[in-house]
Amino acid sequence: MTEEDAARTILNGLKAAGINLIATLPDINLAQLLHEVEADRDVLHVPLCREEEGIGICAGAYLVGKKCAAIMQNGGFFNSNNAIVTTLLQYHIPLLLLIYYAGDIGDRTFSTSGSMTEPVLQALGIRHYVMREPDDAPELIKRAQILAEDSKRPVALLLTKESLGRRASIRSL
Amino acid sequence: MKRFDCLGIIAGAATDTLVVTSAGAVTLEWNALRPSDGNFRVRTLGLCSSIALGMALGLPQRKVIALDGDGSLLMNLCSLPTMARMQPKNLVHIVFDNEVYEASGSKQTATATGTDLVGMARAAGIRQALWTHSVDEFARIATEALNGHELFFIGAKVTTDRTEVPPYPMDEVENKYRFIRHVEKTEKIAILKTNLPSSYS
Repeated sequence: MTEEDAARTILNGLKAAGINLIATLPDINLAQLLHEVEADRDVLHVPLCREEEGIGICAGAYLVGKKCAAIMQNGGFFNSNNAIVTTLLQYHIPLLLLIYYAGDIGDRTFSTSGSMTEPVLQALGIRHYVMREPDDAPELIKRAQILAEDSKRPVALLLTKESLGRRASIRSL
Repeated sequence: MKRFDCLGIIAGAATDTLVVTSAGAVTLEWNALRPSDGNFRVRTLGLCSSIALGMALGLPQRKVIALDGDGSLLMNLCSLPTMARMQPKNLVHIVFDNEVYEASGSKQTATATGTDLVGMARAAGIRQALWTHSVDEFARIATEALNGHELFFIGAKVTTDRTEVPPYPMDEVENKYRFIRHVEKTEKIAILKTNLPSSYS
């Protein structure tokens, strides 16, 4: 799947899951997805200056009836931890987190961030799933959103390079 | 100027407005003046402005007020450019600047040494960003903001006086449910879904 097709598949999956507000902060691997989000007329796009404010914006929008997703790199997830703990978890507020998995196996950017991402998610009690195939996006997103709403907690999908169409699928090698 | 006097003016003017209050004494004072399920208390220092922005974007037809503090806003200055970028016409962001971290032992904030939050809001791109220095001036500008259709940022230089008021009457989860039910009722919308599948489906 090309990067364009992967981005469109993910965005369509978000829309099919009912997401209508998306807060984002760029990473080069998320560029095509963010381009699609920005161009879409059905979702309200909120470009952020720092990811933690996005947690607040999504929490506020949820309280008045929006279904929100936040798209960021794992560095942004680390930036957001206090808001995740003292707002989302403290108040039982659901949020779908789409986190680019920098430092994932085979990604030579931030290996230290990569090694800390899943342990921190686990320590916070945030259910998380690694997305490796763009084809899996619609079903994974739908199930993650249902889980977030049912559990009233954030749920994270870790987006790898291949899930974003930026390198060959492991299955095809 | 006392924060409590300013809050009293807003309470008189904002009968059914959604109000987000920053972590600290402002929450307790506001709740004593206008007890309502339309009040949302923030516990994450800094997030008051962002949570209010999310509400304003999610319900563009409803007025939303953020009652923020200097220490809180200083922790989340990036909310100013994001607000300016989104330009919600229904949001009024009020910052009570007493130049100290009041809830954390009254150490000075950066505004005590000259940082100008209204100047920063204006430089971020919020056109209606104004300082108020007296209760009369605050009343005039707050009324204009509440009746207007434009993003407002109001700075209020206040003393460190705290008014004795009762403690907050509920925990965070109850606050969330009450607030959502209040929005559902007043906006006639359904937010919380309770139709879970049966265990054997």
